[in-house]
Amino acid sequence: MTELPDRVRLPRSLWERLVTHCAAERPNEACGVLGMQGPDVVEIFEMTNVESSPVRYRLDPKEQLAVYNRLHERGWDFASFHSHTRTEAYPSPTDVKEAREDVPYVIVSLAGDAPAVRAFRIVKEDWLDLTGEVQEVPVEVAG
Amino acid sequence: MAVEVRIPTVFRRFTDGAPTESVEPGTLRDVIGELGSRYPNFEEQVLTDEGELHRFVNVYINDEDVRYLEKLETKVGDGDVVSLLPSVAGGLG
Repeated sequence: MTELPDRVRLPRSLWERLVTHCAAERPNEACGVLGMQGPDVVEIFEMTNVESSPVRYRLDPKEQLAVYNRLHERGWDFASFHSHTRTEAYPSPTDVKEAREDVPYVIVSLAGDAPAVRAFRIVKEDWLDLTGEVQEVPVEVAG
Repeated sequence: MAVEVRIPTVFRRFTDGAPTESVEPGTLRDVIGELGSRYPNFEEQVLTDEGELHRFVNVYINDEDVRYLEKLETKVGDGDVVSLLPSVAGGLG
C-alpha cells in the first residue's frame, strides 16, 4: 500500500476557495484535485465535471493529465475532491465503486446550513472492486 | 534517453511504490510487457483478459490519448512520457 497522510491540513484561505468553487458549481457537483506536500494542501486545481450533473462527476482526462503533469513537476502528492450538493460529506456507494486512486478523497457537502469538508481513504483489495473499506482521514483547517 | 512511464497511485503497490519507471522504446504493448516482467501482477492491472487496455485506465503518450492513435501498437520512442491515468469519478447518484 502507498503511504498516505494521516490527516489533511487545509489552510483557511484554501478552505474558503474550495467551498466557494463548489458553491459556484451548484446545482452540479464540483470536482478537482488538491496539490499536497505531506499532509498540507498547498494548491487547488478546480477542474471540469464532464458529467455536468448534480449527482455525478468525472474528471476530464485531458485536464487530469495536465494537472498530474504539474503535480509531477512540483513533486507534489495529491487528493481528489468533489462536492455533494444534497447529501452529507461521506462517500456514496457510487464514490466507493468509482474510487480508482489510492489518495484521500475530500468531499465538500453543501447540504447543511454550513459547508462541511471531510476526507476519506477508500481501501480496495483490487482497484476494480465495486466495494471498499471507507476510512476517515481527519481534516484540520488552520490559519 | 529512454521512455518514462508514470505509474498511478493505485498501481504503485505493484511497483514497490515507484511513481515512475524507465523502460526501453518499443510499442506501448512492449512497454507494458516490460513492466510486467519486472513486476508480477502489473500487466493484469492495465490489460483485460483479452489483452486490451482496460476501459478505466486512460493512457497518454506525451499529450496524445493512445485510443486515438494505434492503441497498444502505438510506437513509444526515446524521451516519450507514458502516463497511465485511472478515471476519477463518483457522485451521490
